[in-house]
Amino acid sequence: MKLLLAMTTALGLVTGAAHAQDKTITISVYSFGMDAMKAAIFDPFEEVCDCEVVVETGNSVERMAKIEANAANPVVDMAVMSSHDALALARKGLLQSMDVSQIPSHADLYESAKDPIGDHLAIGYGFYATSIVYRSDLVEINSWADLLSDELKGRVALPNITGTQGPLTLLMLGKAMGTDEITFSDTIDAVGEHADDIVTFYNRSSELAQLMMQEEVIAAPVGRFAWSRFSGAALPFKWAEPEEGQAGGMNVMLMTKGNGNEELTYQFIDYWLSTEVQTRIAELKLDSPANAKVVVSDEIAESLTYGADLINSLTTLDSGAIIDNRDAWLDRWNEKVVN
Amino acid sequence: MTSKWTSRLIIGLTLTFLIGPFFIIIFAGMSAGDFMTFPPDGLSLKWYMKVFTVESFRESFALSLFLAIFGTIAALILGVPAAYAISRYNIPYAETIKTVVAAPIIVPGIIVGLALLRYLVVPLSFTVTLALFMAHTALVLPYAVRVVSSSLNNLRSDMEEAAVLLGCSRIGAFMRVVLPNIQSGVLAAFILGFVTSFNQVPVSLFLSGPGVRTLPIDMLSYMEITYDPSVAALSALLALLSVAIVFLAEKFLGFSRYV
Amino acid sequence: MFQNNREGLALALPAALFTAILFLLPVGLLLSEAFKIGGQWSLQGYVDFASKPLNQTVFLRTLKLGFLVALTSAIIGYACAFCIVNLDGKNRGRVFGLVVLPLMISPVARTYAWIVILGRTGIVNDAILALGLSDTPIRILFTETAVFLGLLQLFLPLMIISLVSALENLPKDVIPAARVLGASWIQVFTKIILPLTKDGLVMGGTLVFTGSLTAYITPAILGGSKVLMLETLLYQRVNVANDFVSAGIIATILITMSFGANLLLKRIAKARS
Repeated sequence: MKLLLAMTTALGLVTGAAHAQDKTITISVYSFGMDAMKAAIFDPFEEVCDCEVVVETGNSVERMAKIEANAANPVVDMAVMSSHDALALARKGLLQSMDVSQIPSHADLYESAKDPIGDHLAIGYGFYATSIVYRSDLVEINSWADLLSDELKGRVALPNITGTQGPLTLLMLGKAMGTDEITFSDTIDAVGEHADDIVTFYNRSSELAQLMMQEEVIAAPVGRFAWSRFSGAALPFKWAEPEEGQAGGMNVMLMTKGNGNEELTYQFIDYWLSTEVQTRIAELKLDSPANAKVVVSDEIAESLTYGADLINSLTTLDSGAIIDNRDAWLDRWNEKVVN
Repeated sequence: MTSKWTSRLIIGLTLTFLIGPFFIIIFAGMSAGDFMTFPPDGLSLKWYMKVFTVESFRESFALSLFLAIFGTIAALILGVPAAYAISRYNIPYAETIKTVVAAPIIVPGIIVGLALLRYLVVPLSFTVTLALFMAHTALVLPYAVRVVSSSLNNLRSDMEEAAVLLGCSRIGAFMRVVLPNIQSGVLAAFILGFVTSFNQVPVSLFLSGPGVRTLPIDMLSYMEITYDPSVAALSALLALLSVAIVFLAEKFLGFSRYV
Repeated sequence: MFQNNREGLALALPAALFTAILFLLPVGLLLSEAFKIGGQWSLQGYVDFASKPLNQTVFLRTLKLGFLVALTSAIIGYACAFCIVNLDGKNRGRVFGLVVLPLMISPVARTYAWIVILGRTGIVNDAILALGLSDTPIRILFTETAVFLGLLQLFLPLMIISLVSALENLPKDVIPAARVLGASWIQVFTKIILPLTKDGLVMGGTLVFTGSLTAYITPAILGGSKVLMLETLLYQRVNVANDFVSAGIIATILITMSFGANLLLKRIAKARS
């Protein structure tokens, strides 16, 4: 009995501990750069709002599944996602249309970040370019088509189709092959023919970084946000500027519907989008700013996806097209590539 | 003696295969570089030090420890009487009961996590911690029943029967005669359960919430951020902790008889 | 044996009910989703699942790897367990402790080590190049071989443990006696050791096979998305496509395979004696 008593007390302690402070905002973010994000955004915001910021991390699909599962009684107040993941949640009616008058910093954003999926259901907070990282001492990359060249046989990795970078890679491969078919059928077939020459289809940029450091892989498409993993390394890595250009996308913030914590959520979103915080994040090379008022040095800009010219030059995939075609891509991929 | 050398060779090769990777982990954690390599590029203890400074490791370690200790105790509270009933009574549906209790071993962990999330956490507002606690208890239960049963089977039942004949109550006989004789089996079950629970991965893949995450899952998500050698260092530290526990258990209990 | 069965039932029921209600019921509900398509009871989910070539490949690969891992561990396991049993008391405890040891180490850590060992610049490839077995490094990571090695290392201890306890119960003098009477080692193994240790083999075989089917970390890290196994496919279906129907189907397949293997092994064991 004593034991049972001790057990229930201990359980109570563990479950109760999270609700110590009365003002709490629960956010769901990418796990990338977590410690730095905490220091740059979450901790200072706790000072500003006199509240507690509870952070949930994980990969986006997992985080989406949880938001959907908890729709009736949202645990998470605010989340950051890729724009197509946000659109998927929006189509399920899980997102709150935001009142941008409550978010003063909204006016300072690049035009494309202001209302990326319509109805103010999401706000862009960071851009990324996608290109190819390669070992400049071993290969030369001038085109996306080089990924499937004989030179890279057995030494190349591609992002998995299930992630954000995968479809972008297919888009650019298609461009290099001269097709702009959104079904990606020819492109996927081409990857399938070379499947044995591809080391793996990676899911996380950290996994790719390890593989490139141990020289398993010498070239792979990757998002610019992961570039700092490579640029600081001892091995000679280079960021390709392929003739077809770079691909890219945007990450967005969203608010869950009916979370009952709107006021604090607006305050937090506004804080994150403010010129001050966006500049801080940019200088730490954590994210490329969506706030057009952010000014950074050339050295910082070099590691980011910075400036209107670059942002406008990126080849992007329409969020709706991603969602509508994703199942078909995955089916064909499963049949032709990983089978 | 050739057979003696063959025997040593077989044991040596098997142990190299089983334990070698573990040494590699220890040394990979000592790398001075930013990535896992073996042999390590330069030696340093910085990653071992870093382990202690990562806040989420401390929190998830506490959760895993809590689940392993209390989940196993709960499993023993349920499991010891069940094992006793199975080995000493001629109960109806004994096979069914055995199958039900043993079932968690063969249900894929991912499914368990997903099922509990979908049917307990979401609709019934169980906390994630409670769901984890229940899942871990159920997972450890089969081991508890098995290990305690095997201890009970090694104990002749005529001792308790004699005690009962001599006027002892059934519970009294269990407390005075049976329990003292199986206590090392119970302790062995505890250690086995503890370790099973502590290292459990798939169940917890879906069962994590804001601030609630078991250590192995935290290590996995740490690896999503960076493959730096601190995960290797942490693994090595945990392994050494396990080795210490097993060593002590073996020394005082002859633990390996029960596994 | 006590005869008061009501008392016995009262002792056993809490454990059974706990598992049944809080564990098996939710799992059962999830499995049943695979039989419901658009609210209707139907087997269509299974038909669709089986018709996809990838699912067939993954199913066969999982079965094959599970079988190979179980078979290899049985072979190594018998050799090793036999040697362990013949050690004197003190060494036996030590070696046995070392065999048990890996079970105590987090599978995340154990799998992680293989990335370094099997990589292009890892020690296995260094050895292959040094011995001149190949001119260029061999790609091992993200192949079935990598997954096989990872699983074998993960589950071999379970087989050795099961076989050691089975061999310990073998009367000490039967093997020398059989040898004196002229039996070959093969005869000793098939006529004496195998029949007398079959329970241990069934137990070990089930644990290893089931473990290999349901391991997640090893195929996820060492196989990646190129060498999918049922468990990693399940995770992908849920996480990428929110596809609970496929999840339920894969889970049902995994559970059926585990049960099936256990029954089959028991049957074979019975038939032998």
